[in-house]
Amino acid sequence: MKYIVKKLIMMAFTILVISFVVFLAFRFIPGDPALMILGGQSSPEKIEALRQEMGLNDPVMAQYLRWLGGLLRGDFGVSYRYSMPVLSLIGEKIPITLFLTLEAFLLMVVISIPLGIYTAKYSGGLIDRVLVVINQIIMAVPPFFSGILITWLFGMTFRWFRPGGYISYKVSFASFLGYLFYPALAIALPKAAMAVKLLRSSVLTEAKLDYVRTAYSRGNATNDVLYRHVLKNAIIPVVTFLGMTLADMVAGSLIVEQVFGIPGLSKTLLTSISNRDYPVVEAIIVLIAVIVVTSNVAVDLIYRALDPRIRAEE
Amino acid sequence: MGVILDVSDLHIEFHDHEKPETVVHDFDLMLEEGEIVGLVGESGSGKSMSAMAIAGLLSRHEISKEGKILYNGTNLLTCSREELRSYQGKDIAMIFQEPMTSLNPSKRIGWQVEESVRIHRSDIDAKTRKEMAVTQLSRAGLPDPEKVYMQYPHELSGGMRQRVMIAAAMILNPRILIADEPTTALDVMVQAQIIDLLREINREYHTSIIFISHDLSLVNQLCHRVLVMHHGRVVEAGRTREIFRNPQKEYTMKLIGSIPKVRLDDVPPDRQEMAGDILSVRGLTVSYQSGGGLFRKKQENLVLKGIDLTLHRGEILALVGESGCGKSTLAKAVTGMNSRYSGSIELSGDRPQMVFQDPYSALNPSHTIGWLLEEPLRIRGGMTDADRNARVLEMMDMVRLDRELIHRYPGQLSGGQRQRVCIAAALMLKPEILLADEPVSALDVTIQVEILALLKRLRAEMGLSILFISHDLRTVYQLCDTVAIMKGGVIIEKGPVNRIYREPEQAYTRQLLKAAGIAVPGAAV
Amino acid sequence: MRIKHFFRLKNNPGKYNVTLLTGTIITGCVLLLLLIGVIHTPYDTEAMDTANKFAGFSLRHLMGTDNFGRDVFSRVIRGGQTTLKIAVGTVFIGLLGGTVIGAVTGYFGGLVDEILMRINDTIFAFPSVLLALVIVSLFGSGTIHVIWALGIAFIPSFARMVRSEFLRYRDSDFISVARMQGAKSVRIMFLHIFPNTLPVLLSAVMIGFNNAVLAEAGLSYLGIGVQPPEPSLGRMLSEAQSYLATAPLMSAGPGLMIILMVLGFSLLGDGISE
Repeated sequence: MKYIVKKLIMMAFTILVISFVVFLAFRFIPGDPALMILGGQSSPEKIEALRQEMGLNDPVMAQYLRWLGGLLRGDFGVSYRYSMPVLSLIGEKIPITLFLTLEAFLLMVVISIPLGIYTAKYSGGLIDRVLVVINQIIMAVPPFFSGILITWLFGMTFRWFRPGGYISYKVSFASFLGYLFYPALAIALPKAAMAVKLLRSSVLTEAKLDYVRTAYSRGNATNDVLYRHVLKNAIIPVVTFLGMTLADMVAGSLIVEQVFGIPGLSKTLLTSISNRDYPVVEAIIVLIAVIVVTSNVAVDLIYRALDPRIRAEE
Repeated sequence: MGVILDVSDLHIEFHDHEKPETVVHDFDLMLEEGEIVGLVGESGSGKSMSAMAIAGLLSRHEISKEGKILYNGTNLLTCSREELRSYQGKDIAMIFQEPMTSLNPSKRIGWQVEESVRIHRSDIDAKTRKEMAVTQLSRAGLPDPEKVYMQYPHELSGGMRQRVMIAAAMILNPRILIADEPTTALDVMVQAQIIDLLREINREYHTSIIFISHDLSLVNQLCHRVLVMHHGRVVEAGRTREIFRNPQKEYTMKLIGSIPKVRLDDVPPDRQEMAGDILSVRGLTVSYQSGGGLFRKKQENLVLKGIDLTLHRGEILALVGESGCGKSTLAKAVTGMNSRYSGSIELSGDRPQMVFQDPYSALNPSHTIGWLLEEPLRIRGGMTDADRNARVLEMMDMVRLDRELIHRYPGQLSGGQRQRVCIAAALMLKPEILLADEPVSALDVTIQVEILALLKRLRAEMGLSILFISHDLRTVYQLCDTVAIMKGGVIIEKGPVNRIYREPEQAYTRQLLKAAGIAVPGAAV
Repeated sequence: MRIKHFFRLKNNPGKYNVTLLTGTIITGCVLLLLLIGVIHTPYDTEAMDTANKFAGFSLRHLMGTDNFGRDVFSRVIRGGQTTLKIAVGTVFIGLLGGTVIGAVTGYFGGLVDEILMRINDTIFAFPSVLLALVIVSLFGSGTIHVIWALGIAFIPSFARMVRSEFLRYRDSDFISVARMQGAKSVRIMFLHIFPNTLPVLLSAVMIGFNNAVLAEAGLSYLGIGVQPPEPSLGRMLSEAQSYLATAPLMSAGPGLMIILMVLGFSLLGDGISE
């Protein structure tokens, strides 16, 4: 319990630091936001007035605290470009990216765990050897290319889905998840291949340890040794990997959304970057940071639940 | 008494490499009920392989096995996996060398101790199972078995874990217990306790035990019969007493000869006259801080509490104690690796050099022997390449290392050669004091003898003074002039070897001597 | 003799290290192709042949032509060169920064280690593509910026690994020996510890290459990486995607190139650690 509280405090602190760094970074880049909003033809007086109004003349720390306070109240600032609150600009898009990421993550877990166990159990066999080669190749496919391949294969050749036929979750949640299946697969496949490889080698490493010999000496069948002894220890490094991957998958989602024409955060982020619409960029980055840090804490807690040795160190 | 296990013509071959490698040839063993048989040999002799084959644990397909292992009328080598499993853990149980790694780190002790019952006796319910486990844990000498039942392996000490292993092995009262070097990783005192426990099990339950060890004195204490193995073959077999009294084969003689002899009744060996102090330690106290964090206060742990110690010129002084007594901390302070101490350390001459226990970790694997030996000279500077090279060759001759090895990497050397390199490297700067931290305990017995002889010769030829850290009282008796017994960061007793071994004043010293199998004259045990 | 041993398994010299061998062959072929491409490509990468748009695979155009009738094979070679250039730069920055930070924090420990590693872990947890995205959005796109962006994003992973290696060796017996012989910290770090980290470092470099290729392709696909007219595999794929229905083969060339590069490097990395 004490550990969890400590973790949560650390988490809040980390997010605070990230938000500060992000804020500073965007304050130090050349270019005057007021000028950007009003355009080059405006008079210096008007620009100065707007600067005053936006609080750009205040000390940096004061500006940061105001911004942070806003974030905590759900006020993400105002877009330079569209002059509307950032939240209303990205609010509806957050669930899209979030669900895409989660679906991809689930797919990865569902694909990789059984395959990893299977290949480890029958390591050296024909199926294992074929799978290892396929795995190695899939790992080398970037998510947007797997997206293109999936679009071509399932969308255009088999016509199992209509490329570009995104259905909003507001219309039908089931169809929304259905459409997300293929992009999620594109994100999940390369990562699942890595997870399979990791789990396989983790099980094989674990299987060489002394306690496995002990388990056999008591008359355990191979399956019991695998499922009752080895798996729990072998899965620990995989959990760490899965946690790190969740963050990576957010990035993967942003790319794959472009492939499948999904109106998630990606499009907004990219246009905001090219428009130098910094409040929007800042908001999205802080949002992603929160997801990343939260998933790390979640991994830490799972890790702790699995490994009594870690618990002892605290 | 009948024969319960009959092994004949056991032949084990490895096929991992290009050429098949035979690790066991023509192994025969008739194990009688209630008998303790010792398998003795150095590393690579095939003793563990034979035992693993009997326990049915060599199942990888790269290993081929021939011959017969008859138990209960069944050949364990050819019977089905199912049948083999029905004996494993129920009739034949095994305990291993490394109690630290032989238990599953993520499962509770109770779960692991009960495992054999769960597998073989589905008729026993969970409650009875737990009772059985707790009973076994307490029989194995674990205090508070109920608590241990709920703990994880990492919460127990090495000795406790080995007791847990024994409890788990004995829970179904097997007829054969195979113990593969069960005490090697443990401290001497714990070692003696585990040996007692095994003897008790044998006496009480009539369990036959196959005891595998490299330590002849242990085998001598415990076993009724002994098989001496060398390069995969049984070179000699017979009743323990006879073999030890009257060995027939040359290898057996060599093995027995390598046990450091302690004959207190004999005239004491000549000890050198000491002249002058070369190292004097006064009131040495070392503490380290533990815990400590943002919210907690740091704790002070005293590791050494006011040590006084004097090393004379040309003396070999032994520092004896169990792990955690502060021996290594003392060594670190003396060599200057740790400068956070109070008290005084006075050295005449250069900083002492040190030889470590494990010659595998003490040599940098990414440099050649020549480079490693030259390094201290390079660091000191002021010598030409040719001079340095000459010194290296000279030193290699001194420690009897083949000059050819100069371009080799440590990975290509044997343990004994590596330890010679370590000693040579320590002596390159011609220190007057050498610290040797258990320099032979990681080596095979016959190599131990050679390294000890080398140390003696170096003392005579170079006038070296040696601080010899050890847990082995027999080795100490052979090599050292003076001995200091340490316990809990304090030197509790010190004096000439002859006096301490004959008339120990402290009970702890007496216990240590007893654990080492050295009978103190006139002591009522 | 040594070369022959190089391709054998460390723990079993009787068998060939198939992973390393395959990795070397694939990477070797790709590098050779890219190297030849510096001197000669079959076609000018910008030469348009409007009469011959969306051509399939043929001996004249090994990977077909694109929407302007440009030879895809030639453009893939140029794109591969760009990718490789960026990967080398990225890994160099990551390796240099990571080694220095990792060595110092791992060897000396203490408060600096604590703080640097806390920062490091946070950045490490952040997907490198995203981090690069932030940096590019701050400083603008273009090859040099992509190199810096990805290079900085890669420092933490190298630092983390070098640190753990230094930590592993710092208190080992052979380092104690060197210290007792009077070696100073810098000497211990570079002469005694560093050579031992090389195998792990080498395999990390390969993983770095592999991630750099993927990240660069991703950034360019999103249109914020390498800018035209420099050909880039990622952008070629993004262009090819628009014509996926009519000319699916147009994406095969650049896709294959990325896969081969990544596959080669990852096999090399695995092979080295075997």
